[in-house]
Order: sequence, then structure tokens, then C-alpha cells
Amino acid sequence: MEIFAGLAFVLSDPSLLLAILLAAVVGMVVGATPGLTAAAAIAMLLPVTFYMEPLFALAFLYVIGKSGRYGGSIAAILFNTPGTAASAATQIDGYPLARRGRAGKALKVATVSSVIGDFMGDLMLIVGVGWIAALALKLGPPEYFAIYFAAFVVIGSVIGKSILKGLASAVLGMLVAMVGLDPISGEERFTYGSFELSNGIGLVPLMIGIFVLGEVFAQLSLRNRTVESLDSDEGDQRARNGLTWTEYRPCIPHALRGGFIGAGIGILPGLGSAIAAFISYGEGKRRAANPELWGKGALEGIAAPESANNAVSGPSMAPLLTLGIPGSTIGAILLGVFLIHGIQVGPTLFLTSKDLVYGLFAAGLIGILLYGLIGYFGAAYVGRLILRIPTKLLYPLIFLTAFVAAYAARGSMFDVLVMICAGILGWLMRAFEFNPAAFVIAFVLAGGAEETLRQALLMSDAGWGIFLERPFALGFLALGVLAVTLRIRGAVKRCVQPAS
Amino acid sequence: MGILAEGLVIALLGLGALWGALQIPEPLPGEVGAGLFPLLISVALIVLGSARATSSLLQRAEAGAMPLRREILEVSGLALLSLVYWWAIGAFGYLLATAAAAPLALFAFGIRRPGALILSALLCPLIYHLVFFEALGVFPPYGEIFDLLDVLRGS
Repeated sequence: MEIFAGLAFVLSDPSLLLAILLAAVVGMVVGATPGLTAAAAIAMLLPVTFYMEPLFALAFLYVIGKSGRYGGSIAAILFNTPGTAASAATQIDGYPLARRGRAGKALKVATVSSVIGDFMGDLMLIVGVGWIAALALKLGPPEYFAIYFAAFVVIGSVIGKSILKGLASAVLGMLVAMVGLDPISGEERFTYGSFELSNGIGLVPLMIGIFVLGEVFAQLSLRNRTVESLDSDEGDQRARNGLTWTEYRPCIPHALRGGFIGAGIGILPGLGSAIAAFISYGEGKRRAANPELWGKGALEGIAAPESANNAVSGPSMAPLLTLGIPGSTIGAILLGVFLIHGIQVGPTLFLTSKDLVYGLFAAGLIGILLYGLIGYFGAAYVGRLILRIPTKLLYPLIFLTAFVAAYAARGSMFDVLVMICAGILGWLMRAFEFNPAAFVIAFVLAGGAEETLRQALLMSDAGWGIFLERPFALGFLALGVLAVTLRIRGAVKRCVQPAS
Repeated sequence: MGILAEGLVIALLGLGALWGALQIPEPLPGEVGAGLFPLLISVALIVLGSARATSSLLQRAEAGAMPLRREILEVSGLALLSLVYWWAIGAFGYLLATAAAAPLALFAFGIRRPGALILSALLCPLIYHLVFFEALGVFPPYGEIFDLLDVLRGS
């Protein structure tokens, strides 16, 4: 019932609706621009939201994240360059359709499937999040620490090519989070006598550095590349680019299945949209009546990954809102917004800020509807708009914006220096195939993990044995170990196969 | 960079962190110290770095990722510009520093038209100043040596 109150509140506030509409457009443009990510846009806009009401700020950034996921499909279909990693699966069938002059049809299938998946994910979040929060209220510090441990290990070991590099990225993120004064004893840690370091490393400059400046550095060497593009809705192609019910009907089972796959994967920290999209594509092709057409421009081959990709968005908020553990980079940034506005995230959030949470869910639903409408009727125009933005101009402007955004967060020039260092680190991590996302998520989680570990050890008579005495904690520790074991097993298999 | 070098860098970072963690004072009896978690992190880094270095012995054929020399030079240039821009903001205030940095950033990304470069030197400081320091009310960074904003405001 709370969701209806949330919807009524959002719909009755024209300025909030305008912000959601703006976020839908910004997210779509950013997602569709090759090289730009929704996470980078959100990190850069984060300081601007300091001056907004909490719901306004959260809704604006949340909808950018949603719309950005969808926007990636526009670049995948029109430019043969996935705007996001997840939309690489959409590219497999989307681009061949575009080459046959049916880009408009492909974009419409992507839009409808994205909306179906995103709605499914959000509905599952709205229905299930209360249950998870109620369960989370019964957990103590040992269980929380075990969940943090599992999150670190899963995020570090599952994303990226190398388990060791992923885990090292996560541990480095934790190490950087330790800089500053210990929040309990006030002891200095890794400050080396620096007053600025005793305040700790700020989340906002770190994220702007890793996601924005690091990307600008990476784009510097790509500045002369040309983006292949196909026009869509012009002239005699118009008739071929409509989407009829008969055409979309075979896509519905794939979109629904993708929605369930995406929602299931979304709730697990760190797995993300790309994995959901590729699993859904593989599963869809396996069950398809026309598997021989997949990869050559099958509409179902667009519906399956697009639905799964977007269904991740809602459920990935569940661990953030109920446990305070972000499951994605966008979740980590939103956690920053909550903290900046003095809102404690976790199970008590549903007791203290219920209106805010359901207002955010309502904004998400309206955001889906808006990006769906804009995408269905205007995705091709967004594609053309992006082709007109010269990257030679875009990235220098992003470079300059990153400086002022990092400064604006706390009015500190030290934060700007942190942002530059993080930018260089972000580029190095990309260049050497480490994992910047795992680094940032671990940075955000480290404080909570340390606090719960110390609380657990203080309340324990058995020292570290407390984690073995509590079944729920033991289960999550085992989940972490299992995740690493399975990943190592997979890697060993891959190493053995070519040799044999 | 080879796998061995990557592993050694991670392990060295871990050793540095271990040294830092050992500098944190011991806790009082019955307390869990501020150094415990950093200590665990340091050990984890050393273990991961050692494992990465060791894996180089098993995977001789696999080369670590390595950016191109040209890419490193270009990124180093932009990183240097970032640091100089940061210093210049502190020395000459936001307006002058941005007026100098904007055309240099555009130049780095391949824009060579003098008109565009001059326009960026004029428009970028103005627009960013109006948006962030006037509209959003952020207090602008002060130039220690000279600040154009002081002159413009007549103080």
C-alpha cells in the first residue's frame, strides 16, 4: 500500500516529475554515448544533489542509472558499440537488424523489453524488500560481518577476468578506506602526520576520480576513433521500422524469462547487468524455436538480454536498502547520497524513512515509464544527437567538470588532489585489467565491515569462534568461500582445456 | 607489466600497509584495537600479491596487460596538466586557472582551431563559475598569489 502513497506523492509534485523526466533523458544520452557510463554521470552530478531534498536527489540519480542501462542498447544497435557492458549482448542481434535497415524495429523491441524487465525487477523489489528488511532486523554483528565478507569475496572474485586481480582491487579499496581517524578509538591510521589525511579519503572525489577522470584518461588514446553508425527512421525505411503485436508476441516469453533472470542475479552483490544479459541471451537461444536465426538479427535475441539487463536495476537496490550493502557501483554512489543527507541505510530505514523509500520506488516506476515512452518514440533521434556531439569537445568539458565537482563536494582543494590521484589509479586499474568497481564498492563497505567485526569480537566469549557458532553467519562465510572455489575451479578448467 | 611484477607490486603495497598497521597503538585490555582490521587487510594484500607472483611461474605463456607507450605518454601529459591545474587554482584562483586549463585540455583532445581554444578560455571559467559558485552557492577556491575574482569584485 505504501507504494501507492509514494506514487501519489511523486505524481503530485511537478518539480519532482520534471527531475525524473530530465534524469530519464540524461541517463539515456549518457548510456548511449560510447565511453560514458551512467555511474560516471551520477558520480559527477553527486555534488549538485547536495543542494536538493533527499528524495529529489535520490530519485534523480536512481532514474539516471535506470535510463543509462537502457541507453546502452541504443549505441549497441545503431553504432555497433555497446554503450554499457551489458548491452554487448543486445548488439549481437541488434546491429545485424540495423544493417538490414530495421534499426527502428530493433530499438522498439529493446525499449519494450527493457521496460518489461525493469518493471518486473522493481515490482519484485517493492514486494520483497520489506521481508528482507524484517529479516535483517533480526541479524547481529556476526551475521552482518559474514554478509560483508561474502560481498567482498563475491564482488572481488566474480567481476573481471582475474580472481586475484579482482580480490586485490577489493582489498586495496578497503585499505584506502582505513586512512584517517579510527571512528571508535580516534587513533590515526595511515595518515603519516597529514592533517588532511586524518579526515579520511572522501567518497565523492574518489568516485569522480575513478569513474570520471579515469575514463577521461582512457578516452584520450581513443579520441581519433570513428564510430560506425547506421541511420534508422528515414524515408522509405519508415514502414519497415514499425513494431506490430504479431512481431513482438514471440519475444514476450524471452522478455519475461529475462526479467526473472535479471531480478535473481540483481539481488546478488556484484554480479551485475552484463552477466544477467548474457545468461538470458544464452538461455533464450537454448529454448528458442529459431536458434539458427539468433546472432543474425532475431528480435527475440534483443528482447532476452535487454529485459534481463534492466531487471537487475531494482533488485540490486535490495541489499543496499535493507543491509546497507551496495551491490553495484550505482548502489555505492546512492549510498553516498543517503550518507550525505544524514540518512542511515539498513533495516531501520524502513522504520525511520519509509516515505522516502517508497517515494524512491515510485520515482523509479515513473522513470521506467518515461524512458520507455521517450525511447520508443525517440531513441533514433537520441542516436543522431549523440553522433553530433564531438568527443573532442565532450571529454575536455568532462575533465573540467570533474575538478569543480570534486571541489564542490566539501569545498576542499585536497579533495581535488584526491580526485586526480584516484583518476590516475582508475586509469592504471583499467589499463592493467584490475577492477575499479570492486575497488569502490569495497571502499564503501569497509567501514561497516570493520565496525561489525569489532562488535562481533567484543560480544564473543569464543573469540573468532563466534562466526562458527552462528549458523547464518557460517552460511554466508561458506558462500564467500564457495564463490572463490567455483571461480578458481572454472579458471583451472579453462587452463586445462586448451592444453588437452 | 608481467604477472610477476604485478604480484610484487601488490605484495609490496601489502608490506607497506603492514608497516603502517603495526604503527597503530595497541588496544587497552578487553578492547578490539583500531589496528586489527588494517592488519588483516595488509596480510590479505601480501597473500594475494604473493599468489599473483607465484602464478607467473605456472602461466608463463600468459602476458599481463600492458598499455601502449604512446598511451602512457599521453595520459602522463594529461595527468601532469591535472596536477598543474590543481596547483594553479590554489595559486591564482579558479577563473585564471580554468582559463588556462580549458584550451590546454581541448588541445590535448585534438582541437586545434585558435578560435575554439580562445572561446573555451573565456566561456569555461565563466560558465563553471556561474553554475557552481553563484547558482549553487559553493565558496570558490581562493588564489594565494593572485585572484582575479578579488579584482572583479573590487576587494
